[in-house]
Amino acid sequence: MSKKVESLESSSKVKSFFKSPARITLLIATVFFVIALVESITGAVDISSPGTSGATLRFAIPLLMAGLGGLWAERAGVINIGLEGMMIVGTWTGAWFGYLYGPYVGLLAAAIFGLLSGLFHAILTVKIGIDQAVSGLAINLIAAGAARYLSGIFFPPVGGDRTVSPPVETMPTFTIPIIAPFFKSIDEKEIFLISNISGLIYGVTTELSVVTVGLLLLLPLTSWVLWRSKFGLRMRFSGENPMAAESLGINVYRTRYIAISISGMFASLGGAYLSLVASSVYREGQTAGRGFIGLATVIFGNWRPSGVFAGSILFGFTDALRVRQNESVMAILLAAAIIAGLLSLYYALSRQWKPMSIAGIIALTGFWLNRQVETIPQEFVTVFPNVATLIVLTFLAQRLTPPAMAGMPYRRGSE
Amino acid sequence: MGNVLEVVGIEKNYPGVVANRNVSLNVTEGSIHSIIGENGAGKSTLMKILYGLVRPDAGSIKVFGEAIALKSPQDAIKLGIGMVHQHFKLADNATVLENVILGSEPTRFGFVVKYDEARKKLQEIADHYGLEIDPDESLANLGVGERQRVEIAKVLFRGAKILILDEPTAVLVPQEVEELFTNLRELVKKGLTVLFISHKLDEVLSIADDITIMRQGTTVATRKPKDTNKKELAELMVGGELPKPRAGNQKVSDEKVLAINGASYVREDGRQILSGVNLEIHGGEILGLAGVEGNGQSELIELIMGLLTPSSGTVEVLGLNATTSLTRDIRNAGVAYIPQDRQRDGLLMTAPLWENRVLGHQFAEPLASSIWVNKGAAISDSKRVVDEFDVRTPGVNVLASALSGGNQQKFIVGRELSGNPKLIVAAQPTRGVDVGAQAIIWDHLMKARSGGAGVLLVSADLDELFSLSDRIAVIYNGSIVSVLNPAKTTPEALGLAMTGAKSA
Repeated sequence: MSKKVESLESSSKVKSFFKSPARITLLIATVFFVIALVESITGAVDISSPGTSGATLRFAIPLLMAGLGGLWAERAGVINIGLEGMMIVGTWTGAWFGYLYGPYVGLLAAAIFGLLSGLFHAILTVKIGIDQAVSGLAINLIAAGAARYLSGIFFPPVGGDRTVSPPVETMPTFTIPIIAPFFKSIDEKEIFLISNISGLIYGVTTELSVVTVGLLLLLPLTSWVLWRSKFGLRMRFSGENPMAAESLGINVYRTRYIAISISGMFASLGGAYLSLVASSVYREGQTAGRGFIGLATVIFGNWRPSGVFAGSILFGFTDALRVRQNESVMAILLAAAIIAGLLSLYYALSRQWKPMSIAGIIALTGFWLNRQVETIPQEFVTVFPNVATLIVLTFLAQRLTPPAMAGMPYRRGSE
Repeated sequence: MGNVLEVVGIEKNYPGVVANRNVSLNVTEGSIHSIIGENGAGKSTLMKILYGLVRPDAGSIKVFGEAIALKSPQDAIKLGIGMVHQHFKLADNATVLENVILGSEPTRFGFVVKYDEARKKLQEIADHYGLEIDPDESLANLGVGERQRVEIAKVLFRGAKILILDEPTAVLVPQEVEELFTNLRELVKKGLTVLFISHKLDEVLSIADDITIMRQGTTVATRKPKDTNKKELAELMVGGELPKPRAGNQKVSDEKVLAINGASYVREDGRQILSGVNLEIHGGEILGLAGVEGNGQSELIELIMGLLTPSSGTVEVLGLNATTSLTRDIRNAGVAYIPQDRQRDGLLMTAPLWENRVLGHQFAEPLASSIWVNKGAAISDSKRVVDEFDVRTPGVNVLASALSGGNQQKFIVGRELSGNPKLIVAAQPTRGVDVGAQAIIWDHLMKARSGGAGVLLVSADLDELFSLSDRIAVIYNGSIVSVLNPAKTTPEALGLAMTGAKSA
């Protein structure tokens, strides 16, 4: 009995450690310090270079949009496996309408068609009561098939290809004045740690797209809706206990219709970002499974907007590294090993033996690999994001609190 | 003080059943009014009518002197009637405040929730009525008693003046019951009115100002606690008349088909469910297990079927140690099990009847051979069950879900009594079935007994217990408090024993 109490106490300690803002800041600072340290040791300067942070942001936005989309649906109690298909809807309609009427109309069209694809998922799952996974898979297949079919009809006559749209007018970018040049100058001075952080800030404040900023604003908006608005409260209860919500006169069906439609719109906007901002053309397979990664960020982020954001940054970062230097991955490996070592030490101090040994093993493996291997093969670089996902989810799995009724069938009037 | 609630001549019929007839009730403002009755006496239907969930066929309801017709719970809430459900309608992954205000959130511009104002209002209500709650606590951290307080706060937040509590003590431990009673007394002191539904006589006598007794769908009497006693209430609850004594010859064998020795069970949350239960059943006898639901019957059955492991003591079934044996072996040894929740534990609702016939007999001849199920045998034996037990079905290929509840039950009983079991564990075998089906099921249980089987009959129906049992054991709070001879006892005495009274 006493043993049980002890473990409960220590786990709440861990929880509060990760929850307190001051400590999170400390944690992030530590991570940066380690990265700066590793960079100065290995000479792999690309991890915190402005190029990497800018690329991270560009890779993160589509994931963030898919993740937020998944969050809306799941908070309302419906799992949206169709995120990938809804992203395809966004890439295609964004590019096609963007080509016809300009990129802003393209975005608007993506939003509207995304909303409709979400509504379709809602009708299938909420009204008809089809299994949520089946409906989502159907949407993925239909969207991919329809995109291929329509591309073949529409693109070749106007100078595109059967799988590639004609180029869309590029969207304007801007650099934040004063801030960007200021951090750029510090970055160039190459001061340990400070220059690393400055480089990162310079990277995300320069050559920004208006769309990037606009979509980023949907993050605080989602938080605000969830925790401050009446609709958000009702939406959360639709996902936690729809029977209770119904008994208090709340229209669970309508709430879910709205939430899932918005889910589709968000995912579709993420897709449109790929074809209008990150590139300026629709290409078949452009989404490349990002809808599913977005779904993973929902779990990673513990069904919270800030967590989804953190997840999309992490996955976006690993994605950005993949297309950049090889030695960066080696450096990251070393950094990860150091961080795992520190974590292991922390767990040892709070007498949590199991996480301690897991972190310890990861740390030792990292150091050993770093000593043994000269360059990491390209295959490892490709698989790195997936491994990182697995490791992170392993550590977080026990503390997750998903909406209680997400994924469960619910019929009006059931007890 | 006047009457806040006047109910006259309420009647409600369901197809084939009269749930409420000639129900009349007067509730005084600022009082705790208890409604007691056996299971199926019509208490729940009456409460559903008062809360707008069910519309009565006849009769009138006056709230605060005005005649009303409730169409939905929302109407009831507007009139100041609030319901505290027995099964809480709360979400774990949210705070107390969020749970309380859901559905009647104070808002700015119609969409921004004014959490600060709501928190203040809830705090005021909590202080005013002496309810101890922390608005910002996560519900996941609360125990059952605290959750019930949140449910009460929920209806108070909506401005309820009349609170209906449906068996509120069923889920509480004794200390929590005391806390609840303190809270309720505080509520009526502040002018609210409480309708308290229960079948626990001790509690009712200690908390109520008035007690209305229901039997067979109608209100039979209203008493003040000081003018009555447990014995009279029990008599009024079960009716004066004795069930007919049962004829039939009996050959009790020496073989013990069930022997439970000092079995105790402590649930994971530390709650003691069973303590030191001793029971023996011989071949050829029916042991009735009487008790108000939730006193440990379900757990006792699960111990016998090898689904739970006792914390201490032993359970021996047909010579097998139930604790270490697989449920499969227990069943194969000749144990039949009629579960209480037929749809959850008794049937595969989306499978045809003949497949359901195989359930529990899937390892042995004649329905199975080696790894194969014998479909032909299953179909022909399903037809036999349908005939013998008068199961109303178009055929044995229809899904179990297509049958009415009573017919599902008949099919389960028929299945379980197949293959000459030596021990029959029957939990509420006739619940929800009509009188004709009840007679068939009783007849078959008696036949099994004559054939030398031992029967454990767990029932809340006193008629059934008296008609079938050779001995009646009474379970209360996880212990067997007495074993009675039905020929030498009265339903009143049994009713008393079930409520935990020592004198019998």
